[in-house]
Amino acid sequence: MKDLLLYLVRALVDEPDQVRIEQFEEDDGTVVFELAVADGDYGKVIGRGGRTANALRTVVKAAAVRERKRVLVDIVE
Amino acid sequence: MSDAAVLQELLERVVGGIGLEGSRVEVLEDGEFLTGVVHGEELGLFIGRHGQTIDAVQHLAQRAVAAGQATRRIVIDAEGYRARRAMALHGQADDAAAEALRNDRAVALDAMVPSERKLVHEHLRERGDVETWSEGDDPDRHLVIAPLKRS
Repeated sequence: MKDLLLYLVRALVDEPDQVRIEQFEEDDGTVVFELAVADGDYGKVIGRGGRTANALRTVVKAAAVRERKRVLVDIVE
Repeated sequence: MSDAAVLQELLERVVGGIGLEGSRVEVLEDGEFLTGVVHGEELGLFIGRHGQTIDAVQHLAQRAVAAGQATRRIVIDAEGYRARRAMALHGQADDAAAEALRNDRAVALDAMVPSERKLVHEHLRERGDVETWSEGDDPDRHLVIAPLKRS
């Protein structure tokens, strides 16, 4: 899941080397990905009306189904 | 890398990430469209409920290929999904147009992604008896259909 998210985000931004993803698990088993990108790239990962961020969440959720995990993608500054 | 190669890699990564074993990715270049097709069985996870996942992949692909500046529209398809979806959308649009004409008032459709709104606008324009426009903001943006006023 993390590899897929990292790949997708790097494909979207101008500065792929600046993409950082922290992964941790909450008590209820939910996997949380905290995503940070270069200052100028937040618009690219969020998109108009949050559409790109939602698309990233949708695809990562599909990747989590086989692993029977709940996932959250948080975009942090 | 060419746009087609970027799309091919993106789809292979997504298909691998979702865990769809035995599926195959094909990219077709056809004029204004660059179409990525996933072949395989049990592609339900790739398509998602109401096509949510395949539409998300299509959006990400459009943004990722040529840094979102690709001159061609990117379409992602899987085992005839787009054709089935177009048939279903045409059916819903025709039903709503009939209702608008019968009651002489505007009828709103469910929210759709931009590519599907375009498809429905074009389908209804060909009928020539209704007019259509979009209202609201994504993800709630939807078509409204009204009888065409003849003067």
